[in-house]
Amino acid sequence: MSETKREIEVRGPDVESAIEAGLAQLGIGRSDVIIEVVDEGSRGLLGIGSRDAVVRLTPLTVPAPAPKPAPAAVAAVPAEQVAPKTAVFSEQLTEEEQVATEILQSMLEKMDIQATITPRLSPPDDLTGRQVLVLDIQGENLAGLIGVRGETLNALQYVTRLMVGHRLHRRATFILDVQGYRQRREKALTRLAERMARKVSKRKRPISLEPMPPHERRIIHMTLRNDKYVYTQSVGEGKRRKVRIYPK
Amino acid sequence: MRTSMKELVEFIVKSLVDYPEEVVVNEVEGTAATILELSVADSDMGRVIGRNGRVINSIRAILQVMAAKQGKRVTLEVLETENR
Repeated sequence: MSETKREIEVRGPDVESAIEAGLAQLGIGRSDVIIEVVDEGSRGLLGIGSRDAVVRLTPLTVPAPAPKPAPAAVAAVPAEQVAPKTAVFSEQLTEEEQVATEILQSMLEKMDIQATITPRLSPPDDLTGRQVLVLDIQGENLAGLIGVRGETLNALQYVTRLMVGHRLHRRATFILDVQGYRQRREKALTRLAERMARKVSKRKRPISLEPMPPHERRIIHMTLRNDKYVYTQSVGEGKRRKVRIYPK
Repeated sequence: MRTSMKELVEFIVKSLVDYPEEVVVNEVEGTAATILELSVADSDMGRVIGRNGRVINSIRAILQVMAAKQGKRVTLEVLETENR
């Protein structure tokens, strides 16, 4: 049967070029594949110890010249229609899910926190289409687990990723969330970005936002990516790095 | 049974290092504060501390959650290993 998923692994100097090389190889567009970053690669220090980025591309549809099958195959059971999506939950992701859930469970127990963990897949990223594993922690009185601006949650995520990565011998990329905190934060940051952008375009003067971790800065950049009146840039180093919004 | 901060640190660190059998956590418990002293194999020091102390500081942040609940202060120190 033509059901076989032809997933391929491609290398490149960085994630982006690896993805592009893979898409070219498959001859399909970004929207037709599931992109998984196996290894983000590393530039190394002065070219020493640099590592190629590795991505795995799984075509969503069998790349056949024939257009989408006409609704002739309607006889198919609904379960089968879901099947391709499930298959996309590749082996590696399943493995990461199992190990991460197990380790996080033990962590929470030892921290004396009563909570349940629900694994899910993140919505595809706007730019890369990449989906990652999200472990949702649910329970009562978990504010302490989030901390000021998510600092504790980020620490927990960092440490459990390392623990899982150590066990699996490859980098773990899952996201930890507590009671939908990340989504709420994303919404708040999107609104902040839009409000500040209006301010900048009105005043015709740049504004700097508070220092933020990389994924939060990215949300700001992404929100204003196509804005007609402003553009964004990150300034500063390390923990103090922040987004600056400039009038165009 | 109440779980201990010492156990938590042991669990985390043992899953991060190459030589878990060399992980030792010594707990000095006072009435208001607990001091945890961690020692690991020399070659594992970097893993436990991390670049700019990122790993050890993250472990500290996790410990604070427990400490806050128990109404205690906690300090986590990494002991420099002498030649063994």
